Amino acid sequence: MSLAIPDVALIDNSDERAPLVLVLDCSGSMLEDNKVGLLNDGLKTLETELKNDPITARCGRVLVISFGGDNNVEIMGDWTDAMDFTPPALMAGGLTPLGTAMKCALNEVESQKAQMRSAGVSYKRPIIMLLSDGEPTDDWRQVAADCKNAESAHKVNVMAIGIGEQANGEILGAFSNKGALNLNGLKFKELFIWLSRSIQAVSRAATGTTVQLNPVDSWAQVQT
Amino acid sequence: MAPLRWQVFLAAAAGSHHLDSATPCQDAGHYLLAGDTLVGVVCDGAGSASHGRDGADFVARSLAQLLHEAPAADLAAPAASQTIATALERTRSQLESLALAGERSLRDYACTVVGCLATAGNAVFFHIGDGYAVFRDAAGACTVSPPENGEFADQTYFLSEAGWQQHLRVTLLPAPHGGCLIGLMSDGTAPFAINRSRDGFYAPFIDPVVNFLRTASPIDGERALLGVLADERTFSITADDKTLLLALAA
Repeated sequence: MSLAIPDVALIDNSDERAPLVLVLDCSGSMLEDNKVGLLNDGLKTLETELKNDPITARCGRVLVISFGGDNNVEIMGDWTDAMDFTPPALMAGGLTPLGTAMKCALNEVESQKAQMRSAGVSYKRPIIMLLSDGEPTDDWRQVAADCKNAESAHKVNVMAIGIGEQANGEILGAFSNKGALNLNGLKFKELFIWLSRSIQAVSRAATGTTVQLNPVDSWAQVQT
Repeated sequence: MAPLRWQVFLAAAAGSHHLDSATPCQDAGHYLLAGDTLVGVVCDGAGSASHGRDGADFVARSLAQLLHEAPAADLAAPAASQTIATALERTRSQLESLALAGERSLRDYACTVVGCLATAGNAVFFHIGDGYAVFRDAAGACTVSPPENGEFADQTYFLSEAGWQQHLRVTLLPAPHGGCLIGLMSDGTAPFAINRSRDGFYAPFIDPVVNFLRTASPIDGERALLGVLADERTFSITADDKTLLLALAA
């Protein structure tokens, strides 16, 4: 007698999601050293990496928020499943309304969670990744405190990352209980590969597990 | 009434997460059968617990044994709820002694519990944390004990927690009869064994499995069930360990 059971369907009936919000600095200074171009390339790397892993492609859910211009915060399209994620082409110019952008990210996370709850979709803890090469040109203190509180309440995981030497690590660090990290050189590609692996780890995390993210030494500046 | 006869099959397969890191499956299951009385338990050791696998194995064995030894009168509803709570309490306190002896804490042995207690006239599910238990009657109607998660899908509750009693759920089931089916599973199995509306088995998965098991010997049946759980197609569904206990009544 054969021990292989014939005709068994093995498909995923669950609807678990791992939400990610990218909050990206598109102020004028991002034009220097073609940082915005490298950021766009990095997003394409993220797209490829997310789609390459079947579980991440299905579970990852992505939203991009850009900030720049005349204190403009723009939600670049809707939340999309990682398998359908197409990175926007970011343009740089103008100011750095980072506080407003992070407020927007927190609101988006909460409304996305409410939507998923009402649809009966379960979800992992959302990640908000903030990338900036400068410092806010708007009111940021209250929002930074809100971000830290949301983190303390385990509502969200905030990663604040400075780009280059002009990034104000002290202010960026005020948005996360983990402080801020700084991108080593302009290693956007390495950063987004790491981010994709992090989403992968979150997507695959078994219940009751504390997700250990990979070490950041592939892209973060080593503190000396 | 003809006596109830159970065929029970239990298999556990390590998920890709543990295969990749060469660590063992953190799930454990155990069952005991005496006449028409079946006690089955599936436990999922917490990934964050250093001895989750040991905890799962200990709890599954201890609970099955304690309930197996309970007098028949204590297994009938409504006494069953108290019998189960007492067995859980005793198991937890034995586990605590084990942890202390090894200079560890109970948290190091954290695991979920999903189990069934079924005799000819009565059946109940008992459940702490995630995983699923499903009772399907001969006509196909299902009673489900669903997972209990925190806000996030990767949070759940364990027997080791101080407030475990608040998370113990006991579900009374219809009296088992020929043709009914009981399934106990860890959360790794649920995405492909439970249907999208989460109110029963996913028929394209369970029907071929049950059809095969009905005519299989215990050894062949368990090997075949393990083959399904370890199938590489499951790796694109979940990285978690997968355990399934199926009890078919005839």
